[in-house]
Amino acid sequence: MIALLLATLTQSLTLIPLALGINLSYTLLRATDMTIDGSFVLGAGVFAQLVTMGISPYIAFLAALACGAIAGAFTAFLQNGGKVDPLLAGILTSFILYSVNMAIMGRPNINLLSTPTLFSAAFAHSLTLGWLSVALLIGLLVVAFYALLQSRLGLCLRAFGDNAMLLSRQGYNVTTLRFTGFGLNNLLAAASGAITAQIIGYADIGMGVGMTLIGIGAIVLGQHLILPFVKKHYLRAGSELLAAFIGIALYFFILNGLLRFNINPIYLKLLLGVLLALFLRTATQKASLT
Amino acid sequence: MTPLLQFENITLRHPSLERPILLDINYSVQKGDCVVVLGANGSGKSSLLKLLDGRYRTNAGKIILKNKNILSLSARARAHCIHTLTQNAQDNLFLNLTIFENYQLIQKRNKADTIDSLADYLYSFNPNLATKLDVLVARLSGGEQQALALALAVLYPPEILLLDEHTSALDPKTAEHLMALTARIIHERHITALLTTHNVNHALAYGDRILALKEGLVHDCIERNDKQNLTAEMLMARCY
Repeated sequence: MIALLLATLTQSLTLIPLALGINLSYTLLRATDMTIDGSFVLGAGVFAQLVTMGISPYIAFLAALACGAIAGAFTAFLQNGGKVDPLLAGILTSFILYSVNMAIMGRPNINLLSTPTLFSAAFAHSLTLGWLSVALLIGLLVVAFYALLQSRLGLCLRAFGDNAMLLSRQGYNVTTLRFTGFGLNNLLAAASGAITAQIIGYADIGMGVGMTLIGIGAIVLGQHLILPFVKKHYLRAGSELLAAFIGIALYFFILNGLLRFNINPIYLKLLLGVLLALFLRTATQKASLT
Repeated sequence: MTPLLQFENITLRHPSLERPILLDINYSVQKGDCVVVLGANGSGKSSLLKLLDGRYRTNAGKIILKNKNILSLSARARAHCIHTLTQNAQDNLFLNLTIFENYQLIQKRNKADTIDSLADYLYSFNPNLATKLDVLVARLSGGEQQALALALAVLYPPEILLLDEHTSALDPKTAEHLMALTARIIHERHITALLTTHNVNHALAYGDRILALKEGLVHDCIERNDKQNLTAEMLMARCY
C-alpha cells in the first residue's frame, strides 16, 4: 500500500503544473484546450534537446516554458475574432505541434539518463533530496499560480471565461486576455512536460497523448469531490487548486491500483476512459440537478 | 445648444433581410434627456441602441457623440461613455462571479473603496444586495440582478445609459419599482438615457421625449410639451 501511495504521489507531483494549466483553461477560461497534448511534449522535447546540446538546464527549462507559451498564443491567435472555434483551434495547434516537436527533437525519443538536468545533482545526492527539489520547483509554480488567481488579472481571466462579450463592452482588451490565458496554460503544460522528462529520464514524441483528457477528467473528479463543501466564494481559487491536486492523485492511485491487479496494459486506457466517462457523467448530472 | 448625441442619416441593413433594419434616422439628444423609444417588435428600437454600444455598425450615416464620430472612439473610451442594460442578466453582469467581483471589474484602479461602502451603496438600490456581496450573481433573483446591474452601471455615471427593456423580464411589481428607481437615479445624477419599452405608461411617466419607430423609420417624435397633453391610449394610437 505504501508503495502504491508513493508511486501515486511521485507521478502526481510532475503533473501538478499540467493540472494547474488545465484548471486555468477548463475552469477559468471555460475552454477545452487540446493544445496541451502538444505543448506537454513541446516542453519535454525543447528541454531534452537543449540539455543534450550542452545548454544549462535552467536556460533549457525557461526555453521550454517560453515555447509552451508561444504554442498557446498560436491557439489564441487562431481563435481571434471568432475565426476558429476554441476546441478546433487547440486540436489544430496540437496537430501542427506533432511535426514541430519531431523537428525540434530530431528523433522520436531523447534519453536524458546521462545528461545533467535541474534535479540530477539532487537525485545523485539522495532520493529524498531529489524529490524535495522537484517538490520545491512545483511548489513555486503553485504559489505563483495561486497569486495569479487572486490578482486582478486572475479575476479578468475568470470574467473572460464567464462572458467575454460583456468584458469587451466594459472596455477590457479581450484579445490580450485570450493570449495571456492560453499562453499561461500551455506554459504550465510545457513545464509539466519538461519536469516529467527529467523524472522519467527521456522525452518521447508520444508522451502527451491523452494528457488534456486525463487532466480534465481529474479536475472534474476533484471538483466533484471538493467544491460542494466550499460555501465561501473567497475560498474558491484555493479549493479549485486543491481539487486539481486531489483529482490528479486519485487518477494515478486508480491507474497504479489497476496495474497492481495485473490488468493487461492493452485494456488500461479502455478502463481509465470508462472511469473518466463515469466521473464526467456523474459530475454533469449533479451540476444539472443543482 | 449642441446636442450630446446626434444620429445623422443612419441606415442599418442585414444581408439576410430585404428591408433595412433602420433607414435614414435623424435624431438628436440633449444632455440630461431621458428619451423613450417606442415601437412594435422588429421596429428597430434595440438595433438603434446596439449601434451606440458597438454591437452593430451602421451601413450609412454617422453617430456623433460630443462632437466626435462614435466610430473614432476606442472600445475603452466608448465603454466609459456608454453603458447598456438589457432584460437579460447575462448581458449586464458576470453571472458566475460574486457581487463583489462584478464590482471589482468596473472599479477604477485608483479608487480604494471598502466592502462596507459598497454594501452601503448597494443598500440604496436593493437592501438584499448589501448582505450578499460574496454570493454568485447567478443565485440572485431577477429583481436583485437588475437592481445590481443598475447600481454598477451608474457607479461611475456614463454619458449615456441605454436601457433596452431592462424591466420586461420582471414581475409587474418589481418592474414598476425598478423603473421608478431608474428614473430617480437618472434624474438625480443628470444621466442622459435612451430607454426602449412597450409600456406606454412608463413612457409618459418617465420619458422627457418620445421617439416612435415603425419598420425601421422614424414614425413620430413627441417633444416634452406635446407629451403633457397625451393619455396612454392616445400615445398608443400615435406610436403603434
